[in-house]
Amino acid sequence: MFNFPKILHPLYLFEEDAAFYAADLDKATAVELSSLMVDILRLAETHTNSEIVEALKTSYVEADILQAFEKFAELEETGLLFNRGENLKETAAIASERRKLLVAIPGIATDSFFDIETLSAGTNMAFSYMFKYLAKYVDLHFTGHRNRKLADNMYEVDISVTDFGRLSRNINETYFGILTLHLDYETWLLPLYQHTELPPILVQCHAPRGHGGEAINSILRHYAAMRDFDGFTAPSDYVREFYADYVWDASFFNTLPNGVDSTLFRPMNKEKAKQELARHVGDDRILTTPTVGYLSRVESEKGASVYLKLAELNPHLLFLIAGPSLGRYASQDLPDNLIYAGFHPRKALPMVYNAFDVYCFLSMSGEETFGLTVLEAMACGVPPVVPNFDGVPSVVGEAGLVADAENFQHDIATFVSYPSPIDFSKKINMLLNDDQMRQSLSQKARERALSFTWDKTACRIVKLFEELQEKRRLVSPNRLLNLFAPTPPEAVHNLGGIGPANQGRQEPKYKSIVLGMNEHYEPCLIRDAAYPLRVEDGLVLSILKNHTVREAEAVLAAVVEDEAEAKATLKRVCGLIQATA
Amino acid sequence: MTFNTNYRLNRHHKFKQNDRKYVADLETNDILEVNEVEWDILERYGTQTQYQIVEALKEKYKVNVIFDGITRLERLGKHGQLLTQIPTSAKSSKALQPIDRKRKVLVPFEFTEEKSSLDYITHLNRFHLLTALAESTALETLGFTDAESGTGDSKNLEALGEIRIRHIEGGERDTFTSAWYAREGYDGILLLSQSLTDNLLYYQIPDVPIVHCIENTQKLQSSMLETLMHLHAARKESDTLVVKASWMKEWLSEFGIPERHICVIPEGINVVEPISKALAKQHTATLFKKPMFTQHPVVGLISGFEPNQGAQWITEFAQANRHLAIFVYDSVLAQHYKNPPDNVVIFGADSQEMSLILPVFLQALDLVCFPAMPGTPFSVVLEAMAYGTPCVAMTKYGMPPEFSGAGVSVECQWDNFGNFHVPMHELSATINAGLVPSDMRAASESVARRFPQKYTWQKTAREILRLFEKSQSLETGTHQTGVNLFPPIFCRRYDPNTFETTSDAYRLGINRYEHLEKALGETLLTQHKTAEVESVFMHFKAKTSFATSTQLPTSDRFWSSAAEPYYIDEDSAAKGISRNRVIRADAA
Repeated sequence: MFNFPKILHPLYLFEEDAAFYAADLDKATAVELSSLMVDILRLAETHTNSEIVEALKTSYVEADILQAFEKFAELEETGLLFNRGENLKETAAIASERRKLLVAIPGIATDSFFDIETLSAGTNMAFSYMFKYLAKYVDLHFTGHRNRKLADNMYEVDISVTDFGRLSRNINETYFGILTLHLDYETWLLPLYQHTELPPILVQCHAPRGHGGEAINSILRHYAAMRDFDGFTAPSDYVREFYADYVWDASFFNTLPNGVDSTLFRPMNKEKAKQELARHVGDDRILTTPTVGYLSRVESEKGASVYLKLAELNPHLLFLIAGPSLGRYASQDLPDNLIYAGFHPRKALPMVYNAFDVYCFLSMSGEETFGLTVLEAMACGVPPVVPNFDGVPSVVGEAGLVADAENFQHDIATFVSYPSPIDFSKKINMLLNDDQMRQSLSQKARERALSFTWDKTACRIVKLFEELQEKRRLVSPNRLLNLFAPTPPEAVHNLGGIGPANQGRQEPKYKSIVLGMNEHYEPCLIRDAAYPLRVEDGLVLSILKNHTVREAEAVLAAVVEDEAEAKATLKRVCGLIQATA
Repeated sequence: MTFNTNYRLNRHHKFKQNDRKYVADLETNDILEVNEVEWDILERYGTQTQYQIVEALKEKYKVNVIFDGITRLERLGKHGQLLTQIPTSAKSSKALQPIDRKRKVLVPFEFTEEKSSLDYITHLNRFHLLTALAESTALETLGFTDAESGTGDSKNLEALGEIRIRHIEGGERDTFTSAWYAREGYDGILLLSQSLTDNLLYYQIPDVPIVHCIENTQKLQSSMLETLMHLHAARKESDTLVVKASWMKEWLSEFGIPERHICVIPEGINVVEPISKALAKQHTATLFKKPMFTQHPVVGLISGFEPNQGAQWITEFAQANRHLAIFVYDSVLAQHYKNPPDNVVIFGADSQEMSLILPVFLQALDLVCFPAMPGTPFSVVLEAMAYGTPCVAMTKYGMPPEFSGAGVSVECQWDNFGNFHVPMHELSATINAGLVPSDMRAASESVARRFPQKYTWQKTAREILRLFEKSQSLETGTHQTGVNLFPPIFCRRYDPNTFETTSDAYRLGINRYEHLEKALGETLLTQHKTAEVESVFMHFKAKTSFATSTQLPTSDRFWSSAAEPYYIDEDSAAKGISRNRVIRADAA
């Protein structure tokens, strides 16, 4: 049912070529209307349906008016003309002097970030915490389908990513950055980089490889398409190091470590925690036997199969699994010393972690960049044993033990590592057999975990956007003109045996020429001259007219065999463009 | 003339709301916020040229701000907003209307660097050409005045005759290069300059056809081929390179410049009332204090040699033909070769006085001999023969048609660096035979005597004007402007099967990879001409085996591949269609 009055978007009504239009300035879209619809719009914010009918029935047939209401209903459905949701313009949200970030994560329900119990993926959990702390410094506006307040300083706004192009200038005025998440298969983000007017885009990358090469290729596409003032964030230095093998400018990968809620995740009375978990599970062995803990989805990529092996290798220890379900392992004949501790709400997780004597992290997925549960266990004072794999050791530092792992240079079915059960077993027993070491690492774990705060993460994001804005101010368009031409073959100084046979044709050579006039017809080089360039330099100059430096990098990588020479070429040409801008 | 026709402005409505300016694109229904300069540009876009827009708004805004505004609007057009890209074919169908007035042609003369490279005769010939052209064409040149001193090159330009001077103040020149002023108001640009650096700027003007007359300039000979190759690369379809002699065209075609892109238009010649040969010989002998010029057959050698090698060759020639009195026309050697063999005099007309006396010497000749090569002053050869003197042409490409029936040829060889070789014995024998009275000589004399009617400046001017007329019907745009719905992103691509990383192009919109080479060719063609893109591909093909699989180097092949897009697929992979990384591995 479509009921007036309605709050309208800022509209401008006009007539052109005998047709009526409403320019919806919020949606940057012109809507062609009948004269009746224009008249209705003039009453839309103050009149009810019946009042509109009453007001217009002398000029229009009532049935037509009702039909127009239906058309308005269709337009509202597409987000046009009418404000959907709350009237945020009248709240502090829009008028706020605070800086605003636009958060675009299509495909994930915004509400889920605010209902932490529904979140199972570490990435989304990390987002949830990050948003909470980020909102201390900036207003967050989530792209969505209606205007509403989500929490303090956080709003859903009726902007779709498909609107970004049309609204780019407006978005740039309103927001000082766009924060988004990298997903392999999305296609909406790449075209956004083409809009030079959009503010800097920071893409959070939580799954740098795996997926049969798709993750890498997707990152490489983004890297190529990104403007000079966009960038990635990743939770650990490892991502930057990994991509340094694939790209020339790894500075596009910014490390943004996750934080941990150290007030929730804190050391508790271990005996009490064990008692509570034993009661919950119904197994008193937890009270008497040293415990090893694992908190994750129970899947092979998260190391569940290795964990089973560890249980088999260590019948004297108790191996606890806490996760949503046992999955396919529920139908297997599990070792007696492996106990499924069930799924626990987030607020109960500190008790679960505290019931572990050692935390075991076994993920072998190409998606792993950080290991949020490791940090949570550490915050609870539980020393971890982690594989020497990707970014995880950098989280643990010296506050845990790092076990051997066979790391694969190239992923196989999304697996990129295989942790050594033998070494894991050895390290677990080492910790459990050495009380002093365990206690020392427990203390270090808590201390180290305290250094990872979401507040730091939030501040780092704000700082990153400031840095990107700074880079943006330095971006200069390439206006230089160049051409390519063959040059005559080398001189032949001896025509002794002259004749056609000795006039053998040598292959022509080629060069580029940069002109002393740019595309604005300004003199841009010394003495209005033209200067010869190597074809490689000219090629880069041409590519950089409509493509990014990273794209020129990809082309150079293909056509210049010597990488050092290719990099020098790119550096040289970029320098020329900046210097002559 | 119209510029900026790559885009047309969509049906639109402009409006202001809350101190902001907007434009509604009524074809796409997009509303776009514009700033003040963009608002003003939109008032003019489509009805005015870019030049007119900039000139109209430059009092109100900085020039760069105006250009940035135009750039932003055209960038919107690239995304399908507000402006619509017009494909090349649609552009060319907008044939220009016939011109029923005097064609207005710009003749730039601000090329200071070449002044020292030109001899007096070249300047004189330019004067004759412009005078003849001015009868049917409104000629204009640019005169730049120094803002502070108020001085400029206008005075020098006045010597050019019937040519209007458009004065450009110094301050304006700081803003723009001279090419800017050629963008508007001209039906064509006549380039007489050989100075590459300045000429190339004029070649960037998108819609004004250029006729570029290449001089046979001895001093620029060593760099001429390279210059011409660059000009050819820079030329638009509507531009024409004009050479004065047929051998120039053949020479250039040797280096891949298609003959159809070169036009041969001989210069006119200047002849005076003839005197008797005997009197001419007497004057020559007296003036050079060489009595042998009255006693021996006189052979005129109109030299186009590279000066250093020319001196050696002339000596060798003179020693092989001691019985001949040899008059050499060589403006460089006339100054520098002071002690030639006794039977040789060397002359160059480097002043008005010298040029007035030249016809006397030319009338003294019994035979004209010349190398048909780039540095040879073509008009001097014609003038030397115009008094009824046959020729012996030393040619690489056979008897030049301009001299057909007026003499004989001897095969010679020369290269791009001035190296020259002719069988001296054969040349001497041919010259000596040519000096003997015969029916053939009589026929040759008769043909040569008709040169003054055949080669006139009026004819030259007519031919040049005809080129401007012809170029009117041709596509003038520099670059391909086909609409590209799915722009490529050049990126690296990891192949999980081989663990190799290659470079590819990823098409936005259709979200698929394709070979880098094709997308690269397409990208380059938006800014460069096909010949230029071929140069790039040929360079990398020679260097790194790039593009060997895709065979892009020639335009025909390139376009056939562009017409049928091919994508990376399993079939091609199975057939081993190579990719750059694989090729590089092979090369390594």
